[in-house]
Amino acid sequence: MKTYLRFFMVSFLALALTGCSGESHKQKNLNSKSITVWHWMSDREDALNELVNRFENETQVKVKLELFAPSEAYAQRVKASAQTGTLPDIYGILGEKRDFASFIRSGYVKNLNEELSAKLGNETDVWKNSFFAKALAVNEFAQGNEFGIEPGIYGIPLDASTIQMVYNKKLYAKAGLDPNNPPRTWDEFIEHNRALKKSGLPGFVSGFGEIWMIDALASNWAMNIMGEKKVFATYEGKVSYNDPDWIKVLSLFKQMADEKILVEGAVTMVNKTAEQTFANERATYAFNGSWCVNVYKGMNPGLEYAPIPPPAVSSAYPIRVWGGAGGSLVVNNGSPRRDGAVTFLRWLTAEKQQSYLSQATENLPSVKASLQHISPILSGFADDMDNATHPNVYPVHEYPEVTEAFNKGIQSILIGEKTPDEVAQNVQKTKEKELAKNAK
Amino acid sequence: MRAGMMEVNYEKVKKGTISFFIHCFLAIVSLSCLFPLWWAFASSLKTQQTVFNDLSLFPKNPQWENYYYAWAKADFSIYFLNSLFYTVVVVVGVLFVASMAAYAFSRLQFYGKNVLFLILISTMMIPIPGSFIALYVLLNKLHLVDHQLGYILPQINGGLALGIFLLKTFFDDLPKELEDSAAIDGCGRFRIYWHIALPLARPALAVLAIFNILAVWNEYLLAMLVLSSKQLMPLQRGLMVFQGAHITQYPLLMAGIVITVLPVLVVYLLLQKHIIKGITAGAVKG
Repeated sequence: MKTYLRFFMVSFLALALTGCSGESHKQKNLNSKSITVWHWMSDREDALNELVNRFENETQVKVKLELFAPSEAYAQRVKASAQTGTLPDIYGILGEKRDFASFIRSGYVKNLNEELSAKLGNETDVWKNSFFAKALAVNEFAQGNEFGIEPGIYGIPLDASTIQMVYNKKLYAKAGLDPNNPPRTWDEFIEHNRALKKSGLPGFVSGFGEIWMIDALASNWAMNIMGEKKVFATYEGKVSYNDPDWIKVLSLFKQMADEKILVEGAVTMVNKTAEQTFANERATYAFNGSWCVNVYKGMNPGLEYAPIPPPAVSSAYPIRVWGGAGGSLVVNNGSPRRDGAVTFLRWLTAEKQQSYLSQATENLPSVKASLQHISPILSGFADDMDNATHPNVYPVHEYPEVTEAFNKGIQSILIGEKTPDEVAQNVQKTKEKELAKNAK
Repeated sequence: MRAGMMEVNYEKVKKGTISFFIHCFLAIVSLSCLFPLWWAFASSLKTQQTVFNDLSLFPKNPQWENYYYAWAKADFSIYFLNSLFYTVVVVVGVLFVASMAAYAFSRLQFYGKNVLFLILISTMMIPIPGSFIALYVLLNKLHLVDHQLGYILPQINGGLALGIFLLKTFFDDLPKELEDSAAIDGCGRFRIYWHIALPLARPALAVLAIFNILAVWNEYLLAMLVLSSKQLMPLQRGLMVFQGAHITQYPLLMAGIVITVLPVLVVYLLLQKHIIKGITAGAVKG
C-alpha cells in the first residue's frame, strides 16, 4: 500500500509541477511559428495530412493540423476557445449562418474580400474566380444582410457538394427500362416506378428520418412549382401555406405514399441506413448528397448508378438543388500569422491540390478547374452546381418551428396519417403563431 | 410414508422447475449481453463490403489483418499507453481522495458536515459536458489546456461525488469498536483509516475502481476539449479515425472496439470477486 501511495504522490506532484510551469495556451499560440489548423473532417484527415506535408516541403512553413471529431465535440471546442481568445490560425465554423455571423461580429474571422480579389504572380485570374460561385456564396455576407455584417466573403470552401437523386442502372435494365434514360419529369418518375413495381423491384429510399432531407427535397419541388420569389415571400409571411402551390408540393408526397414508391421504413430511416439500402440494391432511387459516391464505393464498388436532378414537376421554373460548399475554413482575424494562413488556404485551393483532395476523398472540388480530374459519377453531381442553392444563402429564413411543422407534416402524409390540406393548415397556424410572437 | 415421499418429490420438482426457469431467464439475459460483443467481434472479421450483406456470426473468410490495420492506422500504440496512464492516475486519485473524504464525513464531527456533504453530493447532478466552456476557461487560466493534468484533474473531480457517497455509506456500516480498540492501542486517525478502515473497504473500493476505470477508459469528449496534441490523446481518439462524417469503416471500427474493450474486460475479471462482494455487502446501496 505504501508503494502505491508513493507512486501516486510522486506522479501527481510531477504532473502538477510541469503543468503549472508551462506557457498558457494563448501564449503558446502567439509564440508558435507554425500555422495551426483545426478541423473536424476525420474522413479527409489522411489526404489533408499528405497535402500539409507537400506544402511544408514546398514552402518550408510548418503547418499543424489538429483534428477534433465528431463535429459536436469540435463545435464545443471552437466555442470554448473563442471565449478564451485561443482560436487557431485557421478553423471552421459549424452551424447556421447566424453562428457564423456572431463569430465575425466578435472579431474572430478575417474578411477575405481583398485577398480573393487579388491576382498573384503569373495567375491569369483573381483567386475568387477559380471557385464555384455557389461554393463561395455560403461564406458570403451580402450588402444589407439581415445580420448587419460588413459585406464580404469570410471563408474558403475546401470542397463542394450537391444533393440530388441517384438511380440504379442495373435494376432499371432488369425492369425493362432504358438504363440511360432516367426520369426527367414527375410523370416519368411515377411511370418508371410502376414498371419497377410490376417487376417486383424496390422503389425510392432516403434518410427521411433526418427531417432536413425532407426539407431539401420539398424545397427543390417548391422552387420548381412556384419559383424562388414565391417561396421567399412565404417565408416573409406574404404568401400562405394554404396556397394551391404549397398544397401541390405536399400532394407529391401523398402521391408517393399512394403509389407505394418509398421502400419500407424509409420515412423513419437515418441516412446511413438509407445509403446501405441503396448500395445493397434494395432501392432503385435514392436522394443523397455528392458525398455518397465515396460511401457507395466503400459499400459496393460494383454498384452501377448515376446522379439525376429530382424529377421536375413543372416547366415554369428550374429545379434548384441544395448544394454549395462542403467544408469551409476561415482565418482567425486575431492571429499574428494571418498572412501565412491565407497563403496556405490559397495553396490548398489551387487546381493541383484540389484535384488530389477530390480524387483521394471522392468529394466535389471547390474549384472549377479540378472538375476535369474527377470521376464521371462525381462530375454528374457537379453538373447542377449552377442551380444549387442552400438555406444559408437565402435572403430570408423561415422560422425553425415552421420548418419543423412542415417537415413533420410531410412525414405524417407519407405514413398516411394526414392529408396535404391538413398539413398546410397546421403549418400556416404555426406560421401565424410565430409571426405574432415575433411582432411583439 | 408414501405421502411424505410424494411431498419430497413435489418439493424437488418445484425447486427444479423454479431453478430451470431462473436459469433459462439468466441464459437469455447473458446471451443478450454477449450478443453485441460477439456481433462486434464477427463484424471485425469482415470486409467493408461483406459487413453489410453477410449477416453471419461466423464469417467464412475471417479478415484477421483488420486487427493489424486498426492498431496501426489508429496509432493505438500511442493512445493505449496514454489511456493506461490516465486511467491509473485518475482511478488512484479518486480512490485516495474519495476514501479520505468519505472517512472524514463518516467519522469526524465538524461544523457544517451535513451541509457540506449535501453540496458535494449535489455535484453528481452536474454532468461534465454541462460545464465544458467554464471548465475550458478555468483550465486555460491555470495553463492546463493541452496538458495531461488538465485532463486528469477534472476527471478526478468528476469521480469524487459518487466515490464519497459510496464509501461513506460503507464506512458508516463498519463496526466502530475495531477502530476504538486501535485507538486504545495508540493508533492515530490516519493510521486507523489506512490500516483498518481502508482494507475493510476493499470491496467498495473495487466497485468504485471499476466504475471509474470504465468512465476514464471510455472518456472522449473532455479529451477533445482539453487536449490538442495527438501525443496526449486517449484511446477513444483512435476510434474516431474510422468514423468519418459520411463514411464509417465498420470492420476496422469494430476491431478497434474489440481492442479497447479487452483491457477493461480483463480488469473486470480480476476484480470480479471484490465487485460481487462489494455489491452484496451494500457498497451501492442507498
